[in-house]
Amino acid sequence: MVFNSLTFIAFFACVLALHSLPLPWTTRKINLLIASYVFYMAWNPPFVILLWISTVVDWYAAQGLVKAQRQRARHAWMLLSVVANLGMLGYFKYGQFLLDNFSALMASLGVVYQPPHADIVLPVGISFYTFATLSYTLDVYLRRAKPARNFLDYALFVTFFPHLVAGPIMRPTELVPQFAQPRRASADQLRFGLALMTLGLFNKVVLADSFLANVAEKIYDVDKIPGALDAWTATLAFSGQIFCDFAGYSTTAIGAAMCLGFAMPDNFRFPYAAVGFSDFWRRWHITLSSWLRDYLYIPLGGNRHGERRTYAALMATMLLGGLWHGANWTFVVWGGLHGLYLAAERVLRTRFRGYRPGPAAFVALGLLTYLLVNLTWVFFRAKTFGKAWSVLGGMLGQHAAAKPILAMFSLISVAAIVAGIVATHWLMRERTLESVVTRTPAVALSVVWALMAFAIVIAQGEGSAFIYFQF
Amino acid sequence: MLVLLLAAWEGYWRAYGVTPGYYNSNGEWAQQRRRIDQGEGGKTVLIGSSRVLFDVQLPVWEKLAGERPIQLAMEGTSSVPVLEDLAADPKFTGHLVVGVASDLFFSGFAYRGDVVPYYHRETPSQRVGSWLSQHLLEPFVAFDDSDFALATVLKRQAWPQRPGVPERMDVRKLSVQEADRSTHMWSKLETDPEYRALARSIWAQHFDGPPPPNMDTPEKLQKVIDTQIQRAVVAVAKLRARGVQVLFVRPPTAGRYLEFDDKVFPRAKTWDVLLARTGAPGIHFEDYPELQGLELPEWSHLKTTDAQRFTAALYRIIARDYWRQDRVRLADSPR
Repeated sequence: MVFNSLTFIAFFACVLALHSLPLPWTTRKINLLIASYVFYMAWNPPFVILLWISTVVDWYAAQGLVKAQRQRARHAWMLLSVVANLGMLGYFKYGQFLLDNFSALMASLGVVYQPPHADIVLPVGISFYTFATLSYTLDVYLRRAKPARNFLDYALFVTFFPHLVAGPIMRPTELVPQFAQPRRASADQLRFGLALMTLGLFNKVVLADSFLANVAEKIYDVDKIPGALDAWTATLAFSGQIFCDFAGYSTTAIGAAMCLGFAMPDNFRFPYAAVGFSDFWRRWHITLSSWLRDYLYIPLGGNRHGERRTYAALMATMLLGGLWHGANWTFVVWGGLHGLYLAAERVLRTRFRGYRPGPAAFVALGLLTYLLVNLTWVFFRAKTFGKAWSVLGGMLGQHAAAKPILAMFSLISVAAIVAGIVATHWLMRERTLESVVTRTPAVALSVVWALMAFAIVIAQGEGSAFIYFQF
Repeated sequence: MLVLLLAAWEGYWRAYGVTPGYYNSNGEWAQQRRRIDQGEGGKTVLIGSSRVLFDVQLPVWEKLAGERPIQLAMEGTSSVPVLEDLAADPKFTGHLVVGVASDLFFSGFAYRGDVVPYYHRETPSQRVGSWLSQHLLEPFVAFDDSDFALATVLKRQAWPQRPGVPERMDVRKLSVQEADRSTHMWSKLETDPEYRALARSIWAQHFDGPPPPNMDTPEKLQKVIDTQIQRAVVAVAKLRARGVQVLFVRPPTAGRYLEFDDKVFPRAKTWDVLLARTGAPGIHFEDYPELQGLELPEWSHLKTTDAQRFTAALYRIIARDYWRQDRVRLADSPR
């Protein structure tokens, strides 16, 4: 079920009530586990079997890793986990993509091969929970972590509903220890958790869904050629939408976990105030970028084997990171562009090692980063390269004769919201939400909270899915 | 503070004339569509666009027929996709009234075209959400209507016009809905001349604007019409093959709407061809005096009392001329 639905409100109220009952800790954990399976099955009940497979395979793989004496046996247990998880991910997420590309490759060689259309339905959240369970066995394999002491804690780590379908991608070392001792939110935690949930839903329901999504759709999902103003407005709208949608989800998830007494890591730290791309990736989808760093970039050699290998590892990581987002070459190009940006930044940092920008240059570099990030969003949002080139052409002023598409209200609302988002990110660049909340008078916080809740209710969201569910 | 703000917002819309009603959501459509899967496949089903939705009054039909039909019409949407969906469902064996709104049916336009895929893919969570909304929210809250959503309200304020972008107003609230999608015209259209004029001016945009690119020449338009009729032919053949009685109905339009329909989708090239090619009977309002002389405040839909009259007259024609034998057979069968 999606967070922005009446079903979730009723579900969460029940979970909170159950969790606050004076029951033994094990019983409360079982309640949370059952609730998490209900949460997942509310989409498509049969897919819970995949979740069980992933959970059980990695539990036994980790047990096997601990008991194995020889390196070869350890290797085999690790491979079992990797093959099972990536096999499921590959089949459901990339099966049709691979078949289509194989068919295209054969056609280019003069061989006609028409694969049957498999019509595979992507299980929601599979990219997230396979990464979470994989990190468990890989950490045990790399001896970074000990396996969970009991199956219940481990299964709850995999399935815990706040992070299950769209992250933040949790590591076992972050969550499993929290299940060891009884947890219940304090009054402050409950208040802050509910406020975070309100903030997250405000981002999603009001900003992303009500004001930004349809502007992007009017340019990216139609056959019209956009001029510069329309192309830029739609791309800026998408930059705001993807942030509000995904950061909104993460914030709601963190808030929900906090209401139950659990802590989850930040997934976004005001990314549109990033200066440079390494800074951007320390602020955007932090749990994915750190996962890719720890389980892909470093195993590929990282920066330990010379410059050439470092750049190769960087590009491979970002290309695969792009493909993780979806089975389409446009996502690979998105990842590739970010890889190129990171590589270029690395070259510049090496060449201008002692350079420290002044305040104006700092802001200019930040805006340049935001501008270049927006160019990558074109490939992320466009469903085809044809559409991506059309929008990019518009942004670069190549469609001077194009008829205007977006109405004045769209231009004004996108400009206001995106300017608000970017300004907020710059104001909050060196701060945390917690520090600002601590310093703000309670009355002001209450007013803002009530206004956000009011806006959520009157926006009348239709419970649309979060963008990252499709990944 | 939140409670005060919500109370003020609710009060504002109630003062505007809005009363709580059920939401015409995909979930509520799917709920009615599921009745066919749950043992009611032998009943009368109504499909079509907003005219069948607002103009056919379920209580009146029920009173005359002794059975309440299943209302599956959807506003702004051609009935062809639903016709095809029912044709593919062997559980449906009843009677089918297919509403024909010329500009939608023959163009294939489907404003709510996602409703059939939604029904087939509806998740348990969405079903629960729909149930909760119907029981906890919709009967009590007037502002819970897409016409009063925050972005919609802000969008229709007097913003400066962007040169080169035609100013288009979205269709406003026209109806009030009950729990089983029984729907009637919102009384404001009957009582508020300004709102009625606004509704007409919104339709007029449709008449005065350029045709869509796929219908901007007579050849293209004819091709689109032929495609939609062919889809209907295939679907009706499937339905009739398993004994479903299909009846097309063309509800009334008036004023500039009727002029537009006659000009762009003339009866001889659309309705008459549809009946001839499908072999199914049809009731066109122009052919029956008892279906004429009714009041359509905004040219497209009947006011509530006239919708009741229309439903009674329509049912009597159907029972007299089309489904009579079947009715007699039903009456004769042991109970």
